[in-house]
Formats: sequence, structure tokens, C-alpha cells
Amino acid sequence: MILGKIAMGMLGTVVVGGAMLCSDGFVSVRVNEHSPKGSHIFFVVPGALAPIGMKFIPRERWNEVEKELQPWLHTIREAVNGLAEYPDTTFVEVIDRTNHVRVHKKGDSIVVDVDDPGETVHVSVPFRTIKSVVRELDEGMPPA
Amino acid sequence: MKRMNRGWAGLAAVVLLSMAGVARAADGPERWLHVKVNSVGDGESVRVNLPLSLAEKILPTISHGDLHNGKITCAGLEMSGVDLRAILQALKDTPDNEFVTVQSRENDVRVAKQAGNFVIHVLDHQKSKQQVDVIVPMAVVQALISSGTKELDVLAAIRALKGMGDTTLVTVHDGTDNVRVWIDSRNTAD
Repeated sequence: MILGKIAMGMLGTVVVGGAMLCSDGFVSVRVNEHSPKGSHIFFVVPGALAPIGMKFIPRERWNEVEKELQPWLHTIREAVNGLAEYPDTTFVEVIDRTNHVRVHKKGDSIVVDVDDPGETVHVSVPFRTIKSVVRELDEGMPPA
Repeated sequence: MKRMNRGWAGLAAVVLLSMAGVARAADGPERWLHVKVNSVGDGESVRVNLPLSLAEKILPTISHGDLHNGKITCAGLEMSGVDLRAILQALKDTPDNEFVTVQSRENDVRVAKQAGNFVIHVLDHQKSKQQVDVIVPMAVVQALISSGTKELDVLAAIRALKGMGDTTLVTVHDGTDNVRVWIDSRNTAD
């Protein structure tokens, strides 16, 4: 009986924890280098981890990032809030003989695709993750 | 009694839905600014699709260089004592007319007011055979210069553009490049 309650408690914790981690959507990054020995990287992480990850940025680097981004935080916040309201759209697309760059909205994420002779890069970041990161930067979160 | 309550609830729902529909219609469709550049020479193609309401939200938040609060400071607008605002005001009050027409061996230039638009047409007869057409609604020109003699009010111009119908603002054609800037209510450039 006691074991059953413990198991239920653990299961509840896992479910609630999982739900919290997934609440901000997922950041996905895919990099494929086209050379024969090129690396192929693919990972998907819960967006909710981004603000936590920020706490591990070294203080000097943090100060640089904060200094550069601080004047643009309000703009980024407005842009993200605004972009979320629009239908899926390609905002910028540049194609030439060898490169293809596309910045577009897909669902609740902003997606950047770059295809050039050297590599193919795909980055998808949910708006909610960007909002969380901006909020952390806004509050001047000191690194741990 | 219950039936009567249901009737009132139904009526209220219909009225609320109608009001919501009217409010949405009043907002009008989203207006998009499109830029399309095709370069035949190097095979490059650029497309930009920007919702005007997003530009309207973001512009006031940018304070960088000469851009503040949606306005660009341009010291050059003084134009050696020439009052640009007065000229544009006069243009606004003038009926449709051709103001400048130049035809030479090198190029043709035409500046006119046509159907409420300020129109500039340049045709280069040289090697590139470049043709430039700029059509700016007078309301946008007015909005652009509405804030002061040394400022261009880009935010006001965007608001004015939002009220315009589908319109092409700039086209440039030459032997290798085609550029088009236009506004419509579609979110794609094709």
C-alpha cells in the first residue's frame, strides 16, 4: 500500500515535471555538414530549460550579452508578441546560386533555415522560449 | 419561463456574435509590405514579407542611430533653406498635373501628381536601360513630413499605408535586376 502511494507520488512528479518542461515547447537544432567527414548534429530540448541554462553562462560573457541585448529587449518582446499573432509566413527569403536562407513562422515557433554548400542548418525556437529568455534578461538575472 | 430565458440567451448570443463580427470587419484585413528582388545576372532572389501592424508595433521601440520613436532625424531635409513641407503641402492642394518632364538622349524623367499619388518615372536610355517607377500616395507623403521640419515620421507613414488599397510603390527594371515593393493583404509575395 505504501509502495503504491510512493509510486503514485513519483508518477505524479514525473507527469507534472514533464508538463512543466514541455510548457514552453521545444527548441530544435539540426546541423548537417556536407563534407564526407562532416558532423551531423541534431537535438531537441525543452524550451523551459533555456532560462535555466542561462544561469550557467560565465559572468563576463553574461555582461557582454546583457550589454548588447539590453537596448533591444523591448523591441524583441514586441516583435515576439506580435509575430505570434500572424499566420505561418515566410518573412525573409534569400536565394542565390549556392545559398538559401529562410526565416519563417511555423506554428508557435520562429524557424531559421540555412542551406549553403558547406552545411545545412535548421533552428526552430518557440516564441514562448524567446519570451522567457527576454524576461530573464529583463530582470537582469545574475549568473549562478 | 425557462423557454423565455433560453430565448433571451440565444438572442444575446446572436447579438454578441454579430458585434464581434462587426468589430473584426472594422479592423480590416492585415496589410503586408512586400519586397521582391530578382537578379538574373547572379541568380539572386530576395523576398521580404512584413505585416504593417507589426512594423507599427516595433518601430516605436527602436532607438538606434537617427531612428527614435518611429521618426528618422534628417538634417538634410532643410535643403538649403527650401521648405520641403510647404512644397509638399502645395502639391497636395494642386490638381493632377505634370510638374517635371525631361526628355534627353540619356534619360526621360517625369514627376507628376496623378490620381492622388506622387509619381516619379525615370527611364535611362544608357546601356542598362533602367526604368524606375515610384508611386507614393500623397497621404503617405503628408504623414512622412507631419512631425517636424527635420524629421521623417516613418510610423505615421506606415499608419497611412495601412489605410491604402493594394498598391505598387516602387518598381525598378533594368537588364538584369527587377525590384518591386508593394502592399496588399496577402502574406506571400508570389
